[in-house]
Amino acid sequence: MNTAVVDRQIQAFREQFQLVRDEISLVIVGNDEIISGVMTCLLVRGHVLLEGIPGVGKTKLVQTMADVLHLKFSRIQFTPDLMPGDIIGTNIVREDESGRKAFEFQHGPIFANMVLADEINRATPKTQSALLEAMQENSVSAAGRTHALDQPFFVLATQNPIEMEGTYPLPEAQMDRFFYKLKLDFPNVEQLHLIVDRTTGQKEPAVRRVLRQGEILEMRETARAIPVARPVQEYAIRVTLATHPESPQAHEMSRKYVRFGSSPRGTQALILGAKVHALMNDRVYVSCEDVRAVALPALRHRILLNFEAEAARIDTDTILAKILEWVPEPKE
Amino acid sequence: MKDREVILSVLRSIERRLWLHRALHEIAYGACVVLFSLIAFQFVGVALSSGVPAVGTGARTAIATAMVMLGVYVAWRALRHVTLAQAAGEADVRARLKDELKSAYCFFSTPEQSPFAQLQIARAAATARHLDPGTIVPGRPPRSLYAVAGLGAVLMLVMWIAPRQSHSWDGADLSAVAAARETRDLRALLEGAPLDPELEKLDGALEELQRADATTEEKARAATRARDAIEQANMEATAAREGLVRLAEAMRANPRFEKAAEALRAGRNEETLALLRQMSAEAGDPDVRAAAKDEPRPLSDIEKGLDGGIEERLAEAGRDLSSINAKVNQDAMDRVVSALQEANQQLEVQSRVTEVKRRMQDAMIPTSQRSALTASQFDSSDNAPNATASPDTGNADIRGGTMFRQGAVTRRNDDDKARDGNMSGSAAGNSEALALEGAATQRLDAQLKLEAVQRRDDAGNDDEKADQGWFYSASQEQKSLLGFEDVRARSNFDRENAMSFESVPIRQKRAVKEYFLNLHESEKK
Repeated sequence: MNTAVVDRQIQAFREQFQLVRDEISLVIVGNDEIISGVMTCLLVRGHVLLEGIPGVGKTKLVQTMADVLHLKFSRIQFTPDLMPGDIIGTNIVREDESGRKAFEFQHGPIFANMVLADEINRATPKTQSALLEAMQENSVSAAGRTHALDQPFFVLATQNPIEMEGTYPLPEAQMDRFFYKLKLDFPNVEQLHLIVDRTTGQKEPAVRRVLRQGEILEMRETARAIPVARPVQEYAIRVTLATHPESPQAHEMSRKYVRFGSSPRGTQALILGAKVHALMNDRVYVSCEDVRAVALPALRHRILLNFEAEAARIDTDTILAKILEWVPEPKE
Repeated sequence: MKDREVILSVLRSIERRLWLHRALHEIAYGACVVLFSLIAFQFVGVALSSGVPAVGTGARTAIATAMVMLGVYVAWRALRHVTLAQAAGEADVRARLKDELKSAYCFFSTPEQSPFAQLQIARAAATARHLDPGTIVPGRPPRSLYAVAGLGAVLMLVMWIAPRQSHSWDGADLSAVAAARETRDLRALLEGAPLDPELEKLDGALEELQRADATTEEKARAATRARDAIEQANMEATAAREGLVRLAEAMRANPRFEKAAEALRAGRNEETLALLRQMSAEAGDPDVRAAAKDEPRPLSDIEKGLDGGIEERLAEAGRDLSSINAKVNQDAMDRVVSALQEANQQLEVQSRVTEVKRRMQDAMIPTSQRSALTASQFDSSDNAPNATASPDTGNADIRGGTMFRQGAVTRRNDDDKARDGNMSGSAAGNSEALALEGAATQRLDAQLKLEAVQRRDDAGNDDEKADQGWFYSASQEQKSLLGFEDVRARSNFDRENAMSFESVPIRQKRAVKEYFLNLHESEKK
């Protein structure tokens, strides 16, 4: 593979990425960064947790994405009485024409390329764990047999941050399984006008499928092939270590407000997300700027705050912003 | 040219410029520190307005060491090698290349390069071709050089305004010279003074203080010797004064010397001396000498070879004068004149050492002994550190060698003045007094004599009709005895109050010792 081929591959990546983003933007108003974030998670084999108040378009975003991509889509509405079997599937007894009876595995909704786990925090931890295990292993086990999941396998979970009654907040260890945590903000006035115009007319905007499964897998390969220079990798590691209160390189706010810092998965997410970000900016190397651009969605759900932070109403975004200002770029 | 060589060429050019720029900056930084220090030094000198601040040899060495260390540090920083990776990082920052050169340099430093890395190197080389090292690291001098120029200008301005301050490096010499000059002035005060062992000691001590290579300890010892000599001279002068008082008292007993005695009491020693010399010349008459030879005279201590000090010599001379009723022995006159001259010399010595002491105090040379206690703490129970005394023994917990014995001789509550002073009791003065155990007193008729006062009327005539007023007054013997005791007590006062090495008055120590030694003996009695 010579550089010309690589150059074309990168151009294709950018064009396809842009195509998907433009198509989704036909339905979803604003939230370009959210769309890019979701696409990034899809392209680096990660899963995404969407958080936002009701009605800001979390589910709509995922549905639109499923429409745009040639992928098998399934939606699971999480409720307290949802059982793991309802997600994974169950063995049922089937009788053939000869009258013989045999167990047959009935695939659950998780056997899809794109799974929308709507309001994931409403299900019990047992059910949540079943989903999260599948997310980590890319396979499910039922009745003593392991069933591999089709690739790409991509979970988009949503949760509502304000209705906490009757919910089961995700444990920190399970939050860590999500590659990004994206926050959907309330749209501004202009965006609200656009939303009303698009959704209250006779015809709702339709999207077309622009990306096939194979193209997605190619894009995944391209994203992972982007090289990272050692100093930039060191910068990502320094940012991660700065979130650890016990680390010598910890930031002052981390020492004061953080109980546990980011896991190594956070550094992985920083580098992988930065690779996609670099590609989208027509670069074949990762810069410190790319790391900074993806630091918030990659790390915000991996930092566990202490009581002082809760009392002072300090959130992880504030701490990360300070850390990104504080950690110097490597000079050599 | 290959992509790699293009990038390296640009990076090397940037590296050289960076090194030069950094070296200039570091040198300018060091120069700024030095110039700022000099300016601050000048300002401190002006602010103190005491000429040039004193800088000793130790301080000089420290400053020189600091300068050398600063020079080494600056040289080390200036000569540090700038790596190509640093040059790439600096170029990325200055040209806003978003880590392009840094990443490319890192990629071609690795043995195996992926196609993506090769593409990045090619792109970075294309960028490097358009880079101008002169734009990235401009050839203009660093800003710190302007700071050096500014500080240099300020320093020159300060030195021009206060030219004397520019010789601040000679501060140590000037300070030492000033101190030596001060000491020489002190020694000049002693020139022409009468020969006196204390003055010799003082002069020796001042010479030690003047010596430039004397250590601090030697100077401290010299100051102590000077202080001792001054105090000794003062004590001897005090003794001389007391002797002169006694001499005056003795001379008053002889009507022939009444005028000289009055002059002596008034402190006109030279006049007294002149009168005595005149009388001595008159006594040179053969009749007087013959008459004097008939008078037997005891040998004085001087003649016996015993030198008891000026006080004793004056007392002896006075006794010679007072013991002769109308005629004066010529030798006695000579002894009086000689003693008087010696007393004058003592007073002259005291005036000189007093002046020396005053100047030493002005020059902050310690000349007095220190005590944590004030004088009032020895005479008042309220001020004493341990004011609560034991009612039984008069003893108290003596801290710091301080003892309070105000009640040893006390006044009773019944206001019996006749018993004042003849009772002893506890230190607090609130216990029953014991009989005073002291030396036996003289008979009353020996202490008192009956005298009559002859009254005069307004016209100055004797009023013979008026009743003569008879009263008792101290006898001549009693006056002499009391005067002697008074003088002896006062002459011993300074010596007894002089503190020992532990800052405890010798008098107090002796009093405590005697109190406890006598305590049990008195109980037995």
